[in-house]
Amino acid sequence: MTGRARARGRPPRQAPALPPVGDAPHPQQLQQLQQLQQLQQLQQLHAPPAQAEEPRAHGHLRACETVLPERRPEGFQVSSGLQDMSLRDRGGRRRDFHDLGVNTRQAMVHVQESKTGFSGRMIKLTTNHFRLTSRPQWALYQYHVGYSPEMEARRLRSALLFQHEETIGKTHAFDGSILFLPKKLENKVTELFSRTRNGEDVKITVTLTNELPPTSPTCLQFYNIIFRRLLKMLNLQQIGRNYYNPSDPVSIPNHRLMVWLGFSSSILQYEENIMLCADVSHKVLRGETVLDTMHSLHSQVGEERFRDTCAKELIGLIVLTKYNNRTYRIDDIDWDNNPKGTFRKSDGSEISFVEYYKKQYNIEISDWMQPVLISQMKRKRGGNIQGCVALIPELCSLTGLTDKMRNDFNMMKDLAIHTRLPPEQRQRELGRLLNYIQKDDNVQKELRNWGLSFDYKSVSFTGRVVQGEKIFQSGTMFDYSPQFADWTKETRGVPLIRAVPMDSWLLIFTRRNHDVANTLLQSLFKVSPAMGIHISKPNMIEVDDRTEAYLRVLQQRITPDTNIVFCILSSSRKDKYDAIKKYLCTDCPIPSQCVLARTLSKPQTIMTVATKIALQMNCKMGGELWSVEIPLRQVMIVGIDCYHDTVSGKQSIAGFVASLNQTMTRWFSRCVVQSRGQELVDGIKACLQTALRNWSKWNRCLPSRIFVYRDGVGDGQLNTLVNYEVPQFLDCLKSIGTDYSPRLTVIVVKKRVGARFFAEIGGGLKNPPPGTVVDTVVTRPEWYDFFVVSQMVKNGCVAPTHYNVVYDTSQLKPDHVQRLTYKLCHMYYNWSGIIRVPAPCQYAHKLAFLVGQSIHREPNMMLSDRLYYL
Amino acid sequence: MDKNFQEEITQIIKFQPPLYKQRYQFVKDLVEKYKPKKVADLGCADCSLLWMLKFCHCIEVLAGLDICASVMKEKMHTLSPLPVDYLQPSERSLTVTLHHGSVAHKDPCMLGFDLVTCIELIEHLEESELKKFPEVVFGFMAPSIVVISTPNSEFNPLLPRVMLYRHPDHKFEWSQAQFQSWALETARCYNYSVEFTGVGHPPTGMEKIGFCTQIGVFVRKYPQTGESVQSEKPSEAVYKTVFKAVYPSLKDEKYLQNAVISEVIFAAQIIKHRLLSKRKEYGDDPERKSKFQPSMDCFPDYLGKLVIEKNMEPFVSGNEVYIPLTTIFSFPKVNRLCGTFEKLCKLIAGKVTLSSDGSAVMFNIEHENEDN
Repeated sequence: MTGRARARGRPPRQAPALPPVGDAPHPQQLQQLQQLQQLQQLQQLHAPPAQAEEPRAHGHLRACETVLPERRPEGFQVSSGLQDMSLRDRGGRRRDFHDLGVNTRQAMVHVQESKTGFSGRMIKLTTNHFRLTSRPQWALYQYHVGYSPEMEARRLRSALLFQHEETIGKTHAFDGSILFLPKKLENKVTELFSRTRNGEDVKITVTLTNELPPTSPTCLQFYNIIFRRLLKMLNLQQIGRNYYNPSDPVSIPNHRLMVWLGFSSSILQYEENIMLCADVSHKVLRGETVLDTMHSLHSQVGEERFRDTCAKELIGLIVLTKYNNRTYRIDDIDWDNNPKGTFRKSDGSEISFVEYYKKQYNIEISDWMQPVLISQMKRKRGGNIQGCVALIPELCSLTGLTDKMRNDFNMMKDLAIHTRLPPEQRQRELGRLLNYIQKDDNVQKELRNWGLSFDYKSVSFTGRVVQGEKIFQSGTMFDYSPQFADWTKETRGVPLIRAVPMDSWLLIFTRRNHDVANTLLQSLFKVSPAMGIHISKPNMIEVDDRTEAYLRVLQQRITPDTNIVFCILSSSRKDKYDAIKKYLCTDCPIPSQCVLARTLSKPQTIMTVATKIALQMNCKMGGELWSVEIPLRQVMIVGIDCYHDTVSGKQSIAGFVASLNQTMTRWFSRCVVQSRGQELVDGIKACLQTALRNWSKWNRCLPSRIFVYRDGVGDGQLNTLVNYEVPQFLDCLKSIGTDYSPRLTVIVVKKRVGARFFAEIGGGLKNPPPGTVVDTVVTRPEWYDFFVVSQMVKNGCVAPTHYNVVYDTSQLKPDHVQRLTYKLCHMYYNWSGIIRVPAPCQYAHKLAFLVGQSIHREPNMMLSDRLYYL
Repeated sequence: MDKNFQEEITQIIKFQPPLYKQRYQFVKDLVEKYKPKKVADLGCADCSLLWMLKFCHCIEVLAGLDICASVMKEKMHTLSPLPVDYLQPSERSLTVTLHHGSVAHKDPCMLGFDLVTCIELIEHLEESELKKFPEVVFGFMAPSIVVISTPNSEFNPLLPRVMLYRHPDHKFEWSQAQFQSWALETARCYNYSVEFTGVGHPPTGMEKIGFCTQIGVFVRKYPQTGESVQSEKPSEAVYKTVFKAVYPSLKDEKYLQNAVISEVIFAAQIIKHRLLSKRKEYGDDPERKSKFQPSMDCFPDYLGKLVIEKNMEPFVSGNEVYIPLTTIFSFPKVNRLCGTFEKLCKLIAGKVTLSSDGSAVMFNIEHENEDN
């Protein structure tokens, strides 16, 4: 699961939108969108001066003409380069993180009236949403500000305008051309006269362009900006998108980590109210510089593997610098450069890093031999010019966790104590933030000036807990305790729906693990009969602990009859695993099972481990474990998830799985491997076609209903999905045949959401039980969306999963879509319990992850009807 | 002067680096030279000079004063500590404060400064304010050094587009003679010496015009009389504090303690790691893990010295690793942070798991992952 966070990264930019599915955007909507884009510039209000230019990377930059310092995604900062750009350039590039203005519900007639379900029992819930209130008849006044003669510099424009504070008032938001005021100026057009430093007279024309009601999308963006201003006023530090309190850190000296408590916040129009959704967020920071990390890596791995290890460990990480308040992503390490290297400043002069930092920040760089880190700037300007920033390792501090750290069980355990807050504590921390806001005079004054205020009590409402699902296995029905969301015990030692015999299989191990292999084998023999799995004696092969040795054995000993290959690996060295998987997924398509010797070495757990391995191998060979009742007939369920390779940054992989049978126990899979910049959806179209062909082979007809669960959609990408990907699905279905028109439902699945729900049980706050469905109050009016809490967590707060039905011709009631979704969360065979997402999404994730991490090309189609990627 | 010639000059007068940067650099050089601990910038405007000065290692107190609160507020956040300042607290302490008020008023918060800078300030003062200014700065604040810069009006004909004054808010612009006579009189009156210089060189052949910006550096001739002086000048606070940032510093016990604990545990981890990995090399048999085993790596005649130097050497006993504090104290970083062994013990007391006699850091390795 280590790649999860990375898999969440941003997919590459997608192509221009085709006409939308449901309906063309209303002219009014378009206008709103434009306003949004303009408003996005407002985020830069109160920009601190861009005191210094960025040192630019050597070499890489010679080619580029312009310095284009990076802009933070939601920063208040604006850098000098951007100030000089024309306003038009700056607009419209920012992501619309909240997918405002994507109105999918209006195209779905059957949910116009109601999108709520009805089944299950009621449950009282509280959430982390707080109502935003504005005084009656509140409006935001939008003005256009023109200068004659034209003034280019944004700072000059504001300085000139605010010479007239007595007219404009103290409360304002201005981005250089659009001015927002909480009050209406006397006249529609106001002319003001200012004088520049050079004594030049300038006429400023302030023209009212819009009176915005509290619910307009522009206003929503505006609220978010104002709220960020408030957080800043509270002296919270912005890192990435969230704000953190630096003055009270938790330090974890065992791992040289520091955790800052902070808040993520967003203000949106929800079902009935505009609300602030605030959540506690933790930032893990490291008390060492990148150079420190490099030193310790050097001492760990030695000279030979040093550079590779550095690249592996560091690339993709976000760093903070000693001298400014920005974050950078490490994209590359320039080993040929060092602090003595020079870069060209924007005025054309060359300066070395050492000199630059001394002069600009009075910082002495002590190690002159260290390499230089390269951070690419995401933003592309007109002609695809990309710039890079060079950073000195000694001056950068690491943030966040590396994959290696995530794999460190002890470290994660120590961290969890501080970051996994149980419901009560989480709400308490949140209360503290609201308390700061409430108690701070300046913040209150700012809010008052804008005519806004918050409800400091979180919103309460009722949700539903739908009935628990029954688990069927070989004709037997199992009841389990729904609140634990797990049936491991209940189904232990029970025959599987379909057990695939292991008549011919290889067991490969090194000499050192000879005993382990035997213990495993004995345990497998013991546990498998009860499950109905017949296991013959394997072909046991001892190999040297080298990748080539493993591969040679595979090449020589696999026969056409081989069911599965079992490898016991002695270390978690990824290269060996990758090589085995690559060979067995592409050149020689045979299911395989790799297990670390360590996992098998504990006598007290070997039986449990053997049971799990037996089940997993059975699935990999096409076996079936259990099922739930699926009332719909002739339905094909599709799951899609993406994996983005952040390390080499070259590939993105879309995993695609589709059900093959009525009971959803067999899945077809394919994946799309694409290099950067290529379109994902074209490949998905081909996947859907093959999936349909296979479905019809299995069922002797085509499905009459198709459900697509689409995971891996980033914030702000909804528009692209709706306008580009969904039409492709439809196109694909059309291409199957003129008389074929199945009902299609496309559901966007999102695990990373800010919303948290708490059940009010016995006067305290608890995690809501699995099966909790929320489809009111905190959903969005313009969407057909709902939340499901399907999983159970032992520590901390459970995160609900958000489902957004963006396209639906199924005519099913919302209740049925919700129930089907919940049912599918029971069907992931690697976990005998309920998971966070529908099984097809998790399968698609597993597949994409395996291909992205180890295989790097599409696996052999011979395996496509089995869960070989588990 | 030939009119054409003058126009030609007008076009080529362009300072590189820009004049404002040269003024700031001048102040920075002065700070480097005199190493003041407390610096105040009067008329700090958008705080850019203060921002530059916060990087000077000698400064521990920085204050800004301006008559306009909103211009200060606009950029004051740049004076806040950065995340990294919290992650790696600096050795020095630094407090940055911004005050809203007039240089014509006395406020005790401005007492005790080493350097007061008035960069392009006085020409913005009304006549009445300018009159009170010397008494406030030289008489009341009485820092060791005062820097005053102001436009040199003789240079104006060379500047493009300057009609009367360089900025519409300027109340006056002085010639060299005017500035110098004011400065000399002020210096005499308050017992300071003054030297004149400037930034923005005049074109060759026109040296008589003087620098574009003229600067007076005033140095107090009498030694600081200390607290007594301040108590003689009781005065009420009239400035309003608009911003205050206290930078995390190792001078603050809280940050020092965190830093020490972090270094101690880090050092101990390194030793433990070395100890265990060597042990593994010598005995690959996991069964022997729990047995007492000498660390033969760095201390070959360990057994012989066991009794005598027990205090200095890390050892394993059962599931516990003991790393003596004395060993940890010998790590340069720990040593530098704490200074004395007693201080080390005091700082980590109750925060780090120690052996029963308090002489060693103790780790339990029962649940350690062997492969790591």
